Amino acid sequence: MDQHSVQVIIETLKEEGIDLAVTLPEEPTYALTEAMRQDPFFTAVTVAGEGNGIAYCAGAALGGRRCVFVTGIAGLLVASWALSQMGMVYGAPILILASYRGDFGDHSGIPGSQLLMFKQVAEPLLSALQVPYRVVNQKATLKRMIQESSFACQDYSHPIVLLLTGEVLW
Amino acid sequence: MKRYDCLKLLAPMVDAHMLTVTSLSSNTAMWSALRTEGANFLGCNMGLCLPFALGLTAAFPKRKVIALDSDGSLMVDSSSLITVADVNPPNLVAIVFDNSSYARMGSTFTARRTDLEKIAQGAGIKNTGTVRTHEEFSSSAKQALETAGPSFLVVKVEPDRERVKGDPHRTYGRAMREWFMDAVRHHPDYSGAGKKSG
Repeated sequence: MDQHSVQVIIETLKEEGIDLAVTLPEEPTYALTEAMRQDPFFTAVTVAGEGNGIAYCAGAALGGRRCVFVTGIAGLLVASWALSQMGMVYGAPILILASYRGDFGDHSGIPGSQLLMFKQVAEPLLSALQVPYRVVNQKATLKRMIQESSFACQDYSHPIVLLLTGEVLW
Repeated sequence: MKRYDCLKLLAPMVDAHMLTVTSLSSNTAMWSALRTEGANFLGCNMGLCLPFALGLTAAFPKRKVIALDSDGSLMVDSSSLITVADVNPPNLVAIVFDNSSYARMGSTFTARRTDLEKIAQGAGIKNTGTVRTHEEFSSSAKQALETAGPSFLVVKVEPDRERVKGDPHRTYGRAMREWFMDAVRHHPDYSGAGKKSG
């Protein structure tokens, strides 16, 4: 992720009043999470597992904090139990930014069999968990996508995922 | 030592503005009978009680948040102890009722070689304890509520002899969530959407 995308995301999250940033670091979004860690506006929390990250965000969100969870497809897979509970059962408004590992354009060097698996499971997983999502692949739409998803996740009272890919991520 | 007796000792120590979270275990029905007012998020499924409570500490930094967890639940995601240690919230009190059994379906690992307090210590939580008597429980719970944490307390209890059922309209799923949200929106420290007075 380049500095332009990082800047747009950070500015928009601030405008949305989202000041709690939760992550388990992963390579494609590292520039973003590191920038949030360096910015005093954000409370940056690193979790030891994505499942407890989602539950953490749910507690904070239902308690009134605006939060973002930054992860990847592997993280969504690990967190699927927590997402089923905190989304489908409890309707916790969590904005999730996920690197779309395995999407076309992922030249990160991990084995193709892993990339294919990510590509095959990512969107069906979110559909199975009934988590609304959008694929964001153009810088020109990034700000608006974050604004709209931030509003929708509060309005729906439900987790929402933005899958970051294309020129936004790679 | 019985779980319900410990919860009865705990209930008067919990003030109106503290928040509680229970695991999906006997904790839920028993605690819902003892604390009928206030912000109680009840019946968190396996592995989710402690990290959910940790999230609430971020929303209510000036209030104690009490996780009433259970051994089977905590062991599903014991990495949450590492997250607790790293976040290090002074207002978190984790009380884990360890009956060494999966309801009536046999023993958990704590009946054999697993020690939850040592796992918490290894994760980096400094204030830990294991209690086996009512006196130890009262004293340790009081201390945890009155001092800066995070605190982690393992409470060794007997397996529950009978299944306790809570009122489904207050203790589980979306209905419980609405009770919880109503209490949270009336909480004086709540800063989210839909705040209510009083």
